Amino acid sequence: MLKKRLLVAILAVLVAGLAVTPALTQDDLMGDFTASHYFGGFGGEYIEEIVDDFVAQHEGLNREASPVDHEQFKESILVQLAGNNPPDTFSYWAGGLIQAIVDGERLQPIGDIWEANDLGSQFPQGIIDSALTYNGEIYAVPLTLHWVGMFYNTALFAEHGVMPPTTWDELVAAAETFKMAGIPAFALGSLNRWPGQFWFDMLLLRTAGNAYRQELMNGKASYTDDEVVRAYSMWNDLAQAGYFYPDANAYDWDEAANQVANGEAAMTLMGTWIGGHYESLGLVAGEDFDYFSFPTVDEDIPRASLGPIDTFVVSAAAANPDAAKAFLVHLTDPEIQLKFALGAGNLAPSTAVDPGSYNTVVTRILGEIAADPDFAFNFDLATLPAVAQIGLNSFQEFMANPGDYEGILERVQEAAAAEFAAAM
Amino acid sequence: MNLKKRLATALLYFLLTIMLILFMVPVYGAIVTAFKTATEVAAGGYWTVPTSLALENFARVMDPEAGNLGLYLGNSLLLTIPASFFSISLGTLAGYGLGKYNFKGDGLLFILIVAGMFLPPQIALIPVFRLMNDIGLYDTLWAVIIIHTAFGIPICTLVMRNFFQVVPKALREAALIDGANEYSIFFRIMLPLTLPALAVLATLQFTWIWNDFLWPFILTQKAESRTVMVGILNLTGQYTVDWGGQAAASLIGSLPTLFIFVFFQRYFIRGLTLGAVKG
Amino acid sequence: MLRRHPWIIPASFLALPLLVYFTFVILPTMNSLYYSFTDWSGYGADFNFVGAANFEKIFSDRLFSNAIKNTAIWLALAMTAPTLLGLALALALQGKRKVNTIYKSLFYLPICLSPVIIGIIWVWLYSPKLGIVNLFLRSIGLEDLAIAWLARPNTALIAVFVAWSWQQTGLNMVIFLAGLTSVPAPLVEAAKVDGANYWQTLVKVIIPMLRPATVVVLALTAINALKSFEVIWVMTKGGPFNNSDTLAVFMYSEAFRKLKLGYGSSAAVILFLMTLVIIVLYFRQVAKSDELYE
Repeated sequence: MLKKRLLVAILAVLVAGLAVTPALTQDDLMGDFTASHYFGGFGGEYIEEIVDDFVAQHEGLNREASPVDHEQFKESILVQLAGNNPPDTFSYWAGGLIQAIVDGERLQPIGDIWEANDLGSQFPQGIIDSALTYNGEIYAVPLTLHWVGMFYNTALFAEHGVMPPTTWDELVAAAETFKMAGIPAFALGSLNRWPGQFWFDMLLLRTAGNAYRQELMNGKASYTDDEVVRAYSMWNDLAQAGYFYPDANAYDWDEAANQVANGEAAMTLMGTWIGGHYESLGLVAGEDFDYFSFPTVDEDIPRASLGPIDTFVVSAAAANPDAAKAFLVHLTDPEIQLKFALGAGNLAPSTAVDPGSYNTVVTRILGEIAADPDFAFNFDLATLPAVAQIGLNSFQEFMANPGDYEGILERVQEAAAAEFAAAM
Repeated sequence: MNLKKRLATALLYFLLTIMLILFMVPVYGAIVTAFKTATEVAAGGYWTVPTSLALENFARVMDPEAGNLGLYLGNSLLLTIPASFFSISLGTLAGYGLGKYNFKGDGLLFILIVAGMFLPPQIALIPVFRLMNDIGLYDTLWAVIIIHTAFGIPICTLVMRNFFQVVPKALREAALIDGANEYSIFFRIMLPLTLPALAVLATLQFTWIWNDFLWPFILTQKAESRTVMVGILNLTGQYTVDWGGQAAASLIGSLPTLFIFVFFQRYFIRGLTLGAVKG
Repeated sequence: MLRRHPWIIPASFLALPLLVYFTFVILPTMNSLYYSFTDWSGYGADFNFVGAANFEKIFSDRLFSNAIKNTAIWLALAMTAPTLLGLALALALQGKRKVNTIYKSLFYLPICLSPVIIGIIWVWLYSPKLGIVNLFLRSIGLEDLAIAWLARPNTALIAVFVAWSWQQTGLNMVIFLAGLTSVPAPLVEAAKVDGANYWQTLVKVIIPMLRPATVVVLALTAINALKSFEVIWVMTKGGPFNNSDTLAVFMYSEAFRKLKLGYGSSAAVILFLMTLVIIVLYFRQVAKSDELYE
């Protein structure tokens, strides 16, 4: 008995001596491993493959897979965090949501793997600061970057002689052209609320700028300020002119995307994942659909790109934190970043990914992001979660009663102020 | 029968038939959509009779790589049958204790139990979640089985107590005189008598537990413990525009309760109407 | 030995069910009551006891009063439309004709369906372009009425309510049918002999005899209406912009979407208190009808 133990000890020392790499080796990872994500119908299969590959590389690991629908994930992950039984790692949107659960002490910082694998050199500093660092520590690894732009039906634009607008006036003129032809210019599927926010975000970014928007998102400016009222009045002008496909609140984002694909509407303001959706329908980027950046409204306002960043985080209560952290490192592999980006039609945050691998649309979008001095998170990730809910409802309300925007803004401000006051 | 009365009857059935047609539209829609090919649906005909009986929607939602309903159906059965059994068993015990014995506070206890029938389940959502987590049952079918057992106790107790109350007292007394103890009376004499009531409860509990989605949604996460209703809802979130698949999944998910509806209707209705009639 | 302690035997039957019931129903409910006095976010590690602050806040919360208003509308509609329709169907189908069995079966078929499935099916029915509701309205020339029912603020609640009533009506019919079997036929015959027409018989004889069934229907409807969550959640999630929020939906949204679990719990407590009022009323009515018939 004693001999056997001794033998094991000697072996262990020998093995430890042989292992040169200081990072986690495959043999360290054992036991059950749980990874949850919100990539449902779009991108879900790719992330599942990535997780399965990771588990297959580590013999000691055993994974129980369970894809969850995007909308349901938002609530189910919180229940799991509240119950202190979250998955080891899960996908989460960078910004206010991660901030909230970091403040709630539900995540663990990942500075150790960050340093050990020199991850800081693999991502743009802007992303590290804005999307991964919370309360001064690194908490997340970025998987994809999305960018919000106007995606349009190329055939329809050609047929009506419309060029991609670069100014506000051109955008309005294009919308008017389509209206004359009996086609609503803008499809918007705000059934699940969030697609409406891109209009608000873009108008505010283009008219008031990112600095002002930051203040609004942090409760330091008011929804009744002239800046916000102006953005809404422009949105209202478009809505009152009948440029939007009727009953935005009746359709989900993919239905709106299909309205553009079918030629029932000309364009839709959406994130890059719409490209993945279109490609799954057999449409070709740059031929059947294309994009343009939301037009400049005020020349003096520095432009900003807008979009969410998907990250993976490690639960504070993770049962298998070693596997979770190893998985996060695995996700930073440029090949994996590219594989997911290509599959889902998005961009890989890693600077080691060859930009030449993307389709023409995504390659050009990469240029847009590089050219814009700022990158902003969309509204529901940029502000307090409770305020985000108030705002998301108000966008739906606006699409139903655009003319009442001043009343809507007053109510939003009242409710948002109460939430900010409670959170202080 | 005079003419006036005949006309009235004809009018009545005319109106009833119109009502019935309106009532059956949703069911009709689900059935015809489920059997249509994607191309036929895309052609715009959601409500027309399908030109052929396509089974591709069923194949897709049952496919482990896609809808995976086969697994979820199995889970639902593994959950619903024991949960029905346990809730009825515990309800029978409680119903017997309250229906056949008088003791101080029995009325209050009865009301306390029956009041649970009216509890909005949302009120207990988070505490139940934490409790299941603390005892290590989160994300297992057992968590859902236990919670449905517990929340089923009120209705089962109510039904069984009322049942035992009308069982003649003489039966028990005669057995006591014959030297039987209380427990053999319960198991040997009373339980066999309760079979009709048990059948009523079985149909009710099965249907409710099978159809529930809130508890399994909150208490389970991984596919291995996902129930059919949670699975179906997940499917609609992932494939918003796939009506064919949703319809096929809805039909499959309703089969067990439809089976009860067809073959055990009498018991099911008895269960629904408890308390509506005195006696 | 056992005879001397009469409570031991019932206690032995009651122990296990009570243990399970208290552990998994009463205890969590009490726990929620406790959370309603805290500012717990739900996901946060710690929280503070804030006394009645949540309750003070909730009564000035516009969304809460909106949810109360919607719940009141829902309750008022639920107590009338499906109840009367269920009663009418029961009266029409109470005869012994063979065909009635088929009609009855089909009318209560929706009872055995899950709210999830009912929600899914009714969402297609209301689909603005391809839903049968609008296809029908267009086919009879009512183009203007063919609107996006679930997306319009003034129709969403009613549209969801109709879907919910689809199930509730059949349930009410079944209960009324059972109640009708206890109306003594000689009594009805006697009224006819006395020269009463159908309406007079209905109002003077049948409806009063249906009192126990009516109490059950109204109590069940009220409780179901207050609890109604699943169909609404599947169909609209309370939208568009809170126009189909009922109290149960409000509670869920506050707790799980806004991450204010303590606040959501206080809404749950209010919901429970409202339910309690109905339970008390119900038991009093049941007690009354007991006296009437015994």
